[in-house]
Amino acid sequence: MRAIAAAFNAAHAAHAAQRVRVVLTFFPDFHYTEKIAIAAAARDLPDVLDLDGPLVARFASAGLLRPLEPWFSAGELADFLPTILAQGTVDGRLYALGAFESAAVLYYDRAMLAAAGVAPPPDGRGWSWEEFLAACARLRRAGIEPVALHMNEGADEWFTYAFSPVVWSGGGHLISADGRRVRGVLASAENIRSLRRWQDLFRQGFAATDPLDPDPFGHGRVALDWSGHWMARSHAAVKGDRLGAMPLPAAGAQPVAPCGSWCWALTTAAREPALAARWLRWVTDSRHGIEPVVQANGAVPARRSAFAAFPDYARPPYRLFRDQLEHFARPRPRTPYYATLTSQFAAALRDIAHGADVAARLLTAEDEIQSVIDRREPAGGTAVPPAATGETAP
Amino acid sequence: MIAWRKSQARAAPWFLLPALALLAVFVVWPMLRALAWSFTNADLLAPGQGRGIGLANYSDLLADPRFRRAFANTALFALLVVPVQTAAAFLLALWVNRPEPAWRWLRTAFFAPVVVSMPVLAVLWTMLYQPAQGREMGLVNALLGLVGAPPQAWLRDPSLALPAIAAMSLWQGVGLQMMVFLAGLQGVPRELVEAARIDGAGAWARLRHVILPALRNTLVFVVTVTTLLAFRLFVQPYLMTRGGPGTSTLSLIQSIYETTFVAQDLGRACAAAFLFLLLVGALALVQRRAAREERA
Amino acid sequence: MKRLLSWAASLAAGLLFLAPLLWMLLASLREESRIFQFGDWLGSGGWTATHYADAWRRAELGRALVNSLAQVAAIAGAGLFVNALAAYAFARLEFRGREVLFGAVVILIVLPVEVLAVPMLFTARDLGLTGGHGAAMAGLAVPFVAKAFNIYFLRQHFMALPAELEEAAVLDGAGAWRQFWSVALPAVRPALATVVLLDLLAHWGDFLWPLMIATREETRTVQLSLAALFTQPPVQWGDILACAVLATLPVLVLFRWLQRHLVATEARAGIK
Repeated sequence: MRAIAAAFNAAHAAHAAQRVRVVLTFFPDFHYTEKIAIAAAARDLPDVLDLDGPLVARFASAGLLRPLEPWFSAGELADFLPTILAQGTVDGRLYALGAFESAAVLYYDRAMLAAAGVAPPPDGRGWSWEEFLAACARLRRAGIEPVALHMNEGADEWFTYAFSPVVWSGGGHLISADGRRVRGVLASAENIRSLRRWQDLFRQGFAATDPLDPDPFGHGRVALDWSGHWMARSHAAVKGDRLGAMPLPAAGAQPVAPCGSWCWALTTAAREPALAARWLRWVTDSRHGIEPVVQANGAVPARRSAFAAFPDYARPPYRLFRDQLEHFARPRPRTPYYATLTSQFAAALRDIAHGADVAARLLTAEDEIQSVIDRREPAGGTAVPPAATGETAP
Repeated sequence: MIAWRKSQARAAPWFLLPALALLAVFVVWPMLRALAWSFTNADLLAPGQGRGIGLANYSDLLADPRFRRAFANTALFALLVVPVQTAAAFLLALWVNRPEPAWRWLRTAFFAPVVVSMPVLAVLWTMLYQPAQGREMGLVNALLGLVGAPPQAWLRDPSLALPAIAAMSLWQGVGLQMMVFLAGLQGVPRELVEAARIDGAGAWARLRHVILPALRNTLVFVVTVTTLLAFRLFVQPYLMTRGGPGTSTLSLIQSIYETTFVAQDLGRACAAAFLFLLLVGALALVQRRAAREERA
Repeated sequence: MKRLLSWAASLAAGLLFLAPLLWMLLASLREESRIFQFGDWLGSGGWTATHYADAWRRAELGRALVNSLAQVAAIAGAGLFVNALAAYAFARLEFRGREVLFGAVVILIVLPVEVLAVPMLFTARDLGLTGGHGAAMAGLAVPFVAKAFNIYFLRQHFMALPAELEEAAVLDGAGAWRQFWSVALPAVRPALATVVLLDLLAHWGDFLWPLMIATREETRTVQLSLAALFTQPPVQWGDILACAVLATLPVLVLFRWLQRHLVATEARAGIK
């Protein structure tokens, strides 16, 4: 990041009339939601802000962000992956653009699957939930621990990110389309069914509820890894040709993949938005912004034109990342109440993994989230504009 | 002497100024502001734009199951920790109240956890309480295994999580209370104890009729302070279980923290903070009442 | 024989009680994969000191320790001065409304930082104590310099001083300030040490307030760094334990230094 900023400063130092300099401040990732809220409350927001995709709706609805359309042409916007645009669009306006995207897949070790007599699906296709459970059972019988779900993750966001697809592919939603109602949505019959089947993974001992090892797949202890693009490089280094990747198992007819990552927004604190937008354009530019960042963090480029710089994307597993994002990835719900939604949903998932009754636990989560929303909504005050984008496929 | 009195009165404001100014700015002023916010529906990201809603935050909170649960959990925690820790500290103090150097080492051992900060201990005990997975487990389950007891899920078990956290807090705090009791014990006049022994009173009788009465004020002090501190429970459950499983370890302070930073409802968070303050103030008042009775 | 038995009992009790801390120390020196396997815990190699180096690097402990030490030193140091001044005024100087004002201060003892944290944050912002690193460092310390409890505690000790001490000074023509600085303050040195120790214990382990105010990496205190290791991938338990040990050492050192003064003075305050 610092290198990108340095390049920006160098390029713009020579700029004739206007001297523009970008100064980067790093916030620690730990408790980021709170830190950003404090910064906003403390009126300490910078001109341009890098924030996690799902938080855009909250900041936009609080009036802290400026729309980005004036600074990008239609052609440029079309170059971005559809999920990037969906993630940053609230209420029909575009507030944030990311330089990279994310992908979650089910990695597998070909050798271990073969040893258990499990055939992986054809390239680019995933398993249905039944096939997935059957494969796990086979692996268990062969004495191999089937799948790693990383239940020991410290951050709430992992749970919502990784396991929303279970809900979505089962035909359910986390919140209503307008982002205001979970009642009847979160604890719907489809969701209860989907999450019961997810709970089976733990019931039947296919996945550990309190793992200690942060990377059991890389250490050769499990055959399947429910994980994301960030592990691709290290898994490839360890497994070589034995590494495969398939879309996450589908609880219904179609697979769904999660997506979304950090993105850049322009704040209303910026006194000269045109200048601040220059940085935005730079950091989301294929050559100056996306390429260096993706070289460093192994994420998925946000713009189609950037893929040219990454020949890896013609091959698995990277090819799968791109395919998902183009065809069946869904961003997390765009609602101002995302922070509450994710913390409650993650807590519910953790309890469900440890054996809590799915229906009851989802209902409790529903009540909690809805009561937070209800306190904000009909009473007025800082009322949120009615037609937010909520949760839909792009 | 009159000149001395006058110079005293003149000097006083200067002596008081730094402390009172700081207290006014960082304690009193924020309190008043929070009070004002508690009557509005202010949003954390835009506090100035709240609307007045009277006592709605307060009535909502008192009826809110999550807030009630947080209160119940915190009260239960205090109920578990205060009597047991105080009794244990007293007994330990009686035990180590001997001059030989061996006992000094034991006193230091009991006091050691007090010095280690709570976040460190929260992290440590999370590892100690690790449930058994295959052949891997935390130290607590390993020790249980040594005596043939089955391993428990501890922090993942809704009925064990809060007691587990209480046990850890007790272990951390007992040393400090013990030291206070020790000092109190050493202040009991020897003649009284000797006189009781000569009169034929056994150890138990000596305890009940000589030692405990002499320690009454210390006891009241220790119980009050420990109770007040117990209600400020936050770090242990926040770092160890995040308030889970379910809401079984959700503390009052954590619920205030969440209302502030996750739901970002500033008005409600301030109301919750004031309810907390009323509670703690009431407890402190009860203590003053009890202490005053003794003097009369 | 009985003495040997009671000696053994005390040793066993102490060791059992200290077991968690001992485990923390030993486990921090074990290889990652051996930490939770108790089958052959102490034997057959598997010892390593790399967790300490890794923890130091990942948690940026050098900077975190400096931040924590600076915070505690500022609070304890400035606090000594500020609180002792006020305590002396309440104890020894006569002025109108003294008892009422003192009563108001005492009420403030009951307020925990958790209740005040959010509004205090806004106050800190208004005073420019948030934002940049320097400002946030000030924000870590300044709100806690004046403490109602310390004032109360020190007042008890000033009041317990024999009157002759000051009468002698008055006869020598000393004003209030000199009385305070040259006579009263040195006489309550044990109580001052106690207050420093209490501040140290209270603020070294501070979590909530630094969490809220230390928004920059550079401003992180030791406790935040430790907690961050706990939630940032990859979670390496050995590193976390090593960080915990390193986070405790400074307090142990400072505590040894101040230890002698603690017990006697605590009791006197308690009994009153």
